[in-house]
Amino acid sequence: MTSIGTGYDLSNSVFSPDGRNFQVEYAMKAVENGGTAIGIRCKDGVVFAMEKLVVSKLVKPGANKKISTVDKNIGIVCSGLMPDGRHFVSRARDEAASWRGLYKAPIPTSALANRMGSYVQAYTLYSSVRPFGLTSILGGWDSEAELPVDGQVGSGPKVGAGGKKEGQKRGGPFLYMIEPSGLYWGYYGAATGKGRQSAKSELEKLNLSEGDITLEQGVKEAARIIYVAHEDSKDKDFELEMSWVSSLDGPTKGRHEEVPKALREEAEALAKKVIEGEDDDDEEAEGGATGDQMEE
Amino acid sequence: MNHLPQAWGRPRDDVYGAYNASFLPQDGPKQHTQSPIVTGTSVVAMKFKDGVVVAADNLASYGSLARFTDVKRLRQFNTRAVLGFGGDVSDMQHLDRLLTSLSLRENYADPGSSGDETDTASLDAKNLHTYLSKVMYKRRTDFNPLWNHILVAGLDDADKPFLASVDLLGTTFSAPSLATGFGAHLAVPILRRVAPDEAAAETLSMDDAVNAVKEAMKVLFYRDARSLDKYSIAVIRKDGVQLKEDEKLEGQSWAFAETIRGYGTQIH
Amino acid sequence: MAFAAPDHGPGYSFTSPTTASAPKQHGFYPYTDNGGSILGISGADFTILAGDTRSTSGYNINSRMAPKLFRIGGEGPDATGARIILGVVGFGADGAALKERLDTIVKIYRYEHGKDMSVKACAQRLSHLLYGKRFFPYYTHAILGGIDEEGKGALYSYDPVGSYEREQCRAGGAAASLIMPFLDNQVNFKNQYVPGSGEGHDLKAREVVPLSRNYVMELVEDAFTSAVERHIEVGDGLQVLVVTENGIEERISPLKQD
Repeated sequence: MTSIGTGYDLSNSVFSPDGRNFQVEYAMKAVENGGTAIGIRCKDGVVFAMEKLVVSKLVKPGANKKISTVDKNIGIVCSGLMPDGRHFVSRARDEAASWRGLYKAPIPTSALANRMGSYVQAYTLYSSVRPFGLTSILGGWDSEAELPVDGQVGSGPKVGAGGKKEGQKRGGPFLYMIEPSGLYWGYYGAATGKGRQSAKSELEKLNLSEGDITLEQGVKEAARIIYVAHEDSKDKDFELEMSWVSSLDGPTKGRHEEVPKALREEAEALAKKVIEGEDDDDEEAEGGATGDQMEE
Repeated sequence: MNHLPQAWGRPRDDVYGAYNASFLPQDGPKQHTQSPIVTGTSVVAMKFKDGVVVAADNLASYGSLARFTDVKRLRQFNTRAVLGFGGDVSDMQHLDRLLTSLSLRENYADPGSSGDETDTASLDAKNLHTYLSKVMYKRRTDFNPLWNHILVAGLDDADKPFLASVDLLGTTFSAPSLATGFGAHLAVPILRRVAPDEAAAETLSMDDAVNAVKEAMKVLFYRDARSLDKYSIAVIRKDGVQLKEDEKLEGQSWAFAETIRGYGTQIH
Repeated sequence: MAFAAPDHGPGYSFTSPTTASAPKQHGFYPYTDNGGSILGISGADFTILAGDTRSTSGYNINSRMAPKLFRIGGEGPDATGARIILGVVGFGADGAALKERLDTIVKIYRYEHGKDMSVKACAQRLSHLLYGKRFFPYYTHAILGGIDEEGKGALYSYDPVGSYEREQCRAGGAAASLIMPFLDNQVNFKNQYVPGSGEGHDLKAREVVPLSRNYVMELVEDAFTSAVERHIEVGDGLQVLVVTENGIEERISPLKQD
């Protein structure tokens, strides 16, 4: 570690003379070693993918899911300390429930990101707590339909006061990433964890800001990016966990769900093919060195 | 003006009479619902060989005023259960929110595996009825009832048709055909002719069941003053729920009305 | 209360009190009667509980198949292996709640003690459950059946607030007043005398003997077919549960539906 706190790193509520909160920076270190997690905002939905490193052969494959659902339409994937992630998700669910309690409607993704950002930030303020060792990618599809409030029974006036406005645009895909400092931004594509650098550069190539990538493409790209990002720690086995949320007329009908097994396997097969293709190229260039294995 | 500040700015009692405070909340024990306010009338339902059909009209009455005419009183809980609510509409809305939060929590606990298999994680109609009956019984025991009579229609854990009722007292029962409110008097006899017992319901076709329920809705519209000819109807089967919320009663015949004497302005 | 009129001193009015008239009566009555009848008879080595399967609300028949007899304890929701049976009539929702509570208690007893609860203990526990709600009673008439520690048929009957007694036979519910005198006469041989055993007070009462299971079954059926004729809330189906040391047997047969 390059920086030595010289005493300013022992407490959360103390700045260093050059204006740094070392506890927060250490929390970010915890994230840097976590499994790679990404989120892609597509035109008709959001995809999440997580590189789940196999910690032991005694752990059941497919168990211990790391991507969670909040309300019906929001997904969260965390990289970093898993127990912190569980607590984070639990809090997010409570926020979503309390929003419903107050507003009788699902929480917008932006509002949840805001509340969770504030929550994480609060853990940088007090000496009695430590920050979250966590970077979370939070995304969802806010319904494009005119949603009734929970329990609404009628459709209201058709014209005049309270009447409907034709062609009004609502909802859509949203994606946010929240860091240990509480900093959160909206993203077209977000990556965190060990392989974030290569994942980010792959995400950048997709020109997500143009907003024409479809959800199905997104799933395939997400799988590929996780495989690419895994290249640097090839010696370790991993499972690919993927989830998605589409528009109301899309495959998940506005709900955040696990990507169906068949589609995930298709995307994985494609990703492996691409990676092997690249390896062949590498072999030609480097003369067939298996650099990763040699590191051991 | 007198010397009592409480009376400043108040109309004089000797001129205008004493202030009538009867509308103000009373001190004393906390008041719970003593009567329903905006109400829905009958819900009608019957089982058939591989599912259940349930219907309710789209009216919410405020006493004798037909207050809301597009109120949906059938609530689809999931692919295996539909609820039909009679009674207080705001209590129905409260229950709807309660069930939304229940289904969210159920989904958190066990999201199931998407699409690949049938979703066994979600609650079936029988589970839902048990849950609702405990909510309703608890509330009556607290003297704070939810003023509803609810029919739970759907499938049980073995995908067999399930139909049961729970009311504001927490009373529960199940039968091949059920109806709440006025329907208990007018619709049930019609439905029992079609399927007098479980054995008959097990051989009944969907069309026959739907027709019987529609016929019952028509009779209810003829005779129940708090009813409407726009209604919702749902069919729950293994392959999902078919819910129609904007149906119109068909084949009405008011010819009989001509023969009714004694209520109107007719001479003879 | 924030909006309440002042209830002391001079208020807005100086001539009459500002509070409204008497507080409103509760408009909600938490009970109803779901009709139906049950009866229980204990024999030398068995106990029979019987009940009709009709559920009513006023003149309406809610259901023709709403059993009032339940297995208590055992394993799982079907109470497999249970040796105690309960019959409840009166307010159906209270009956269901009472049954559910007793069932849970008996099941937990087995988990905690590694043996089944005796009918005697269960009977007393049921009394306590009822008395526990002495001031907001379970509006039910309960009858509990089982086999006692000596292998004899045991039958306990209860009032809504937990007063209970072990008996040979008991009828409860809507047609109790029709069935009970029949049972007194046919089970306990009340008003039956040995012919020619004397005059007036010298007449010898017919000796009470344990009845056979088949004979008791016939009595039960006669009791219900008769009750159905004379009581509108009784009918549709007859559910009979028989407990012996070998377990519980159930039979459901039709009754008139009118």
